Amino acid sequence: MKESILINGPVPKAMISSLLEALGNDTGAGGHSLFLGQVRADVTDGRRVKAIEYSAYEAMVMEEADKIKKSIIAEYDDLKSIIILHSVGIVNAGEISLFVLISAGHRHQAMQACSKTVELIKEKLPVWKKEIFENNTSEWRQNYQA
Amino acid sequence: MEIKVLFFGVLAEITKTRFKHYRDITSYDDLRLRIQDEFPEIVHYNYRIALNSEIINEDPELKNEDEIAYMPPFAGG
Repeated sequence: MKESILINGPVPKAMISSLLEALGNDTGAGGHSLFLGQVRADVTDGRRVKAIEYSAYEAMVMEEADKIKKSIIAEYDDLKSIIILHSVGIVNAGEISLFVLISAGHRHQAMQACSKTVELIKEKLPVWKKEIFENNTSEWRQNYQA
Repeated sequence: MEIKVLFFGVLAEITKTRFKHYRDITSYDDLRLRIQDEFPEIVHYNYRIALNSEIINEDPELKNEDEIAYMPPFAGG
Protein backbone atom coordinates (compact mmCIF):
# COMPACT_ATOMS: atom_id res chain seq x y z
CA MET A 1 0.00 0.00 0.00
CA LYS A 2 1.24 3.48 -0.85
CA GLU A 3 1.63 5.63 2.22
CA SER A 4 2.16 9.31 2.70
CA ILE A 5 5.69 10.03 3.85
CA LEU A 6 5.01 13.73 4.43
CA ILE A 7 4.97 15.33 7.87
CA ASN A 8 3.83 18.85 8.64
CA GLY A 9 6.74 20.75 10.15
CA PRO A 10 9.93 19.09 11.42
CA VAL A 11 10.17 15.33 11.95
CA PRO A 12 9.43 15.22 15.71
CA LYS A 13 12.18 13.95 18.02
CA ALA A 14 9.58 11.77 19.79
CA MET A 15 8.70 10.08 16.50
CA ILE A 16 12.38 9.44 15.77
CA SER A 17 12.81 7.94 19.25
CA SER A 18 9.84 5.63 18.94
CA LEU A 19 10.94 4.41 15.50
CA LEU A 20 14.40 3.66 16.90
CA GLU A 21 12.93 1.91 19.95
CA ALA A 22 10.91 -0.39 17.68
CA LEU A 23 14.01 -1.60 15.83
CA GLY A 24 14.68 -4.50 18.19
CA ASN A 25 11.37 -6.13 17.25
CA ASP A 26 13.01 -7.54 14.12
CA THR A 27 15.65 -9.89 15.48
CA GLY A 28 16.53 -10.98 11.94
CA ALA A 29 18.14 -7.60 11.30
CA GLY A 30 21.87 -7.30 11.93
CA GLY A 31 22.26 -3.61 11.11
CA HIS A 32 20.28 -0.41 10.82
CA SER A 33 21.41 2.63 8.89
CA LEU A 34 19.89 6.00 9.75
CA PHE A 35 20.10 9.28 7.87
CA LEU A 36 18.73 12.49 9.37
CA GLY A 37 18.63 15.57 7.15
CA GLN A 38 18.83 18.79 9.15
CA VAL A 39 18.14 22.36 8.09
CA ARG A 40 21.47 24.17 7.97
CA ALA A 41 21.85 27.86 8.87
CA ASP A 42 23.68 28.74 5.64
CA VAL A 43 24.85 32.30 5.17
CA THR A 44 24.35 33.83 1.70
CA ASP A 45 25.39 37.44 1.01
CA GLY A 46 25.45 38.11 4.74
CA ARG A 47 21.97 36.67 5.30
CA ARG A 48 21.63 33.69 7.63
CA VAL A 49 18.97 31.00 7.01
CA LYS A 50 16.53 30.78 9.93
CA ALA A 51 14.17 28.21 8.34
CA ILE A 52 13.22 26.36 5.18
CA GLU A 53 9.69 26.27 3.87
CA TYR A 54 9.07 22.99 2.02
CA SER A 55 6.22 22.42 -0.41
CA ALA A 56 5.36 19.22 -2.26
CA TYR A 57 3.21 17.69 -4.97
CA GLU A 58 1.68 15.27 -2.49
CA ALA A 59 0.05 12.78 -4.86
CA MET A 60 3.25 12.46 -6.86
CA VAL A 61 5.41 12.24 -3.72
CA MET A 62 3.41 9.15 -2.71
CA GLU A 63 3.92 7.58 -6.14
CA GLU A 64 7.64 8.40 -6.29
CA ALA A 65 8.36 7.33 -2.71
CA ASP A 66 6.70 4.00 -3.46
CA LYS A 67 8.86 3.61 -6.60
CA ILE A 68 12.01 4.48 -4.62
CA LYS A 69 11.20 1.87 -1.96
CA LYS A 70 10.46 -0.78 -4.59
CA SER A 71 13.65 -0.07 -6.52
CA ILE A 72 15.78 -0.22 -3.34
CA ILE A 73 14.15 -3.46 -2.23
CA ALA A 74 14.75 -4.91 -5.72
CA GLU A 75 18.42 -3.85 -5.68
CA TYR A 76 19.32 -5.00 -2.14
CA ASP A 77 18.17 -8.53 -1.33
CA ASP A 78 19.07 -8.44 2.38
CA LEU A 79 16.74 -5.57 3.41
CA LYS A 80 14.29 -6.00 6.26
CA SER A 81 12.58 -2.60 6.23
CA ILE A 82 12.75 0.89 4.80
CA ILE A 83 11.18 3.99 6.34
CA ILE A 84 11.16 7.45 4.73
CA LEU A 85 9.71 10.63 6.27
CA HIS A 86 9.96 14.11 4.74
CA SER A 87 8.77 17.49 6.03
CA VAL A 88 6.43 19.95 4.38
CA GLY A 89 5.87 23.46 5.71
CA ILE A 90 8.27 25.36 7.93
CA VAL A 91 11.34 23.65 9.43
CA ASN A 92 13.69 25.81 11.51
CA ALA A 93 17.48 25.66 11.33
CA GLY A 94 18.69 22.77 13.47
CA GLU A 95 15.47 20.78 13.03
CA ILE A 96 15.10 17.51 11.10
CA SER A 97 13.44 17.59 7.66
CA LEU A 98 14.32 14.12 6.34
CA PHE A 99 14.38 10.72 8.05
CA VAL A 100 15.59 7.55 6.30
CA LEU A 101 15.96 4.31 8.24
CA ILE A 102 17.02 1.05 6.59
CA SER A 103 17.28 -2.29 8.35
CA ALA A 104 19.10 -5.21 6.78
CA GLY A 105 20.49 -8.57 7.68
CA HIS A 106 24.03 -7.21 7.41
CA ARG A 107 25.68 -3.77 7.67
CA HIS A 108 26.94 -3.25 4.10
CA GLN A 109 23.53 -3.45 2.50
CA ALA A 110 21.99 -1.27 5.24
CA MET A 111 24.57 1.49 4.66
CA GLN A 112 24.60 1.29 0.87
CA ALA A 113 20.80 1.19 0.58
CA CYS A 114 20.47 4.16 2.95
CA SER A 115 22.89 6.25 0.91
CA LYS A 116 21.17 5.30 -2.37
CA THR A 117 17.73 6.07 -0.93
CA VAL A 118 18.80 9.58 0.12
CA GLU A 119 20.21 10.26 -3.36
CA LEU A 120 16.98 9.06 -5.01
CA ILE A 121 14.91 11.24 -2.67
CA LYS A 122 16.93 14.31 -3.70
CA GLU A 123 16.63 13.42 -7.39
CA LYS A 124 13.08 12.08 -7.69
CA LEU A 125 10.77 13.54 -5.04
CA PRO A 126 8.70 16.53 -6.20
CA VAL A 127 9.56 18.72 -3.22
CA TRP A 128 10.61 22.37 -3.27
CA LYS A 129 12.34 24.50 -0.69
CA LYS A 130 12.50 28.17 0.00
CA GLU A 131 15.15 29.43 2.37
CA ILE A 132 13.88 32.05 4.77
CA PHE A 133 16.55 34.35 6.18
CA GLU A 134 16.74 36.08 9.53
CA ASN A 135 15.92 39.42 7.85
CA ASN A 136 12.71 37.80 6.47
CA THR A 137 13.85 37.80 2.85
CA SER A 138 13.71 34.45 1.05
CA GLU A 139 15.21 32.51 -1.84
CA TRP A 140 14.25 29.33 -3.74
CA ARG A 141 16.82 26.52 -3.80
CA GLN A 142 17.26 23.47 -6.01
CA ASN A 143 19.23 20.23 -5.68
CA TYR A 144 20.52 19.87 -9.22
CA GLN A 145 20.96 22.25 -12.12
CA ALA A 146 18.12 21.76 -14.59
CA MET B 1 -12.10 19.68 -22.22
CA GLU B 2 -11.23 20.93 -18.75
CA ILE B 3 -7.70 20.58 -17.40
CA LYS B 4 -6.48 21.27 -13.87
CA VAL B 5 -3.04 22.88 -13.84
CA LEU B 6 -0.87 22.87 -10.70
CA PHE B 7 2.03 25.27 -10.13
CA PHE B 8 4.78 24.50 -7.64
CA GLY B 9 7.73 26.22 -6.00
CA VAL B 10 8.80 29.47 -7.60
CA LEU B 11 6.15 28.99 -10.32
CA ALA B 12 3.36 29.15 -7.72
CA GLU B 13 4.93 32.40 -6.55
CA ILE B 14 5.16 34.08 -9.98
CA THR B 15 1.67 32.92 -11.07
CA LYS B 16 0.30 33.77 -7.59
CA THR B 17 -1.70 30.54 -7.68
CA ARG B 18 -1.20 26.89 -6.74
CA PHE B 19 -3.78 25.54 -9.18
CA LYS B 20 -6.12 26.72 -11.86
CA HIS B 21 -8.79 25.11 -14.05
CA TYR B 22 -8.61 25.76 -17.79
CA ARG B 23 -11.80 25.15 -19.78
CA ASP B 24 -12.33 24.54 -23.51
CA ILE B 25 -8.81 23.25 -24.01
CA THR B 26 -8.33 21.60 -27.40
CA SER B 27 -4.80 20.18 -26.99
CA TYR B 28 -1.68 20.32 -24.85
CA ASP B 29 -0.26 22.97 -27.17
CA ASP B 30 -3.40 25.05 -26.72
CA LEU B 31 -3.04 24.76 -22.93
CA ARG B 32 0.65 25.60 -23.00
CA LEU B 33 0.06 28.74 -25.06
CA ARG B 34 -2.80 29.88 -22.85
CA ILE B 35 -0.60 29.54 -19.78
CA GLN B 36 2.24 31.41 -21.47
CA ASP B 37 -0.14 34.20 -22.54
CA GLU B 38 -1.43 34.53 -19.00
CA PHE B 39 1.96 34.24 -17.28
CA PRO B 40 4.56 35.40 -19.84
CA GLU B 41 7.38 35.35 -17.27
CA ILE B 42 7.07 31.56 -16.95
CA VAL B 43 9.26 31.09 -20.04
CA HIS B 44 12.24 32.44 -18.07
CA TYR B 45 12.16 29.51 -15.63
CA ASN B 46 13.26 25.89 -15.88
CA TYR B 47 10.53 23.38 -15.25
CA ARG B 48 9.31 19.90 -16.05
CA ILE B 49 5.74 18.82 -16.71
CA ALA B 50 3.86 15.96 -15.06
CA LEU B 51 0.62 14.50 -16.38
CA ASN B 52 -1.44 12.89 -13.60
CA SER B 53 1.70 12.59 -11.38
CA GLU B 54 3.96 11.14 -14.12
CA ILE B 55 6.76 13.22 -15.64
CA ILE B 56 6.39 13.51 -19.41
CA ASN B 57 9.05 14.33 -21.95
CA GLU B 58 6.82 14.71 -25.01
CA ASP B 59 3.63 16.64 -25.61
CA PRO B 60 0.84 14.38 -24.31
CA GLU B 61 -2.62 13.63 -25.61
CA LEU B 62 -4.91 15.22 -23.02
CA LYS B 63 -8.31 14.01 -21.94
CA ASN B 64 -10.99 15.74 -19.91
CA GLU B 65 -10.10 16.32 -16.21
CA ASP B 66 -6.42 15.47 -16.64
CA GLU B 67 -4.05 17.12 -14.17
CA ILE B 68 -0.96 18.91 -15.46
CA ALA B 69 1.78 20.03 -13.05
CA TYR B 70 4.41 22.70 -13.72
CA MET B 71 7.40 21.67 -11.60
CA PRO B 72 10.65 23.62 -11.09
CA PRO B 73 13.82 21.58 -10.35
CA PHE B 74 13.33 19.48 -7.22
CA ALA B 75 14.84 20.45 -3.87
CA GLY B 76 13.91 17.73 -1.40
CA GLY B 77 16.00 16.56 1.51
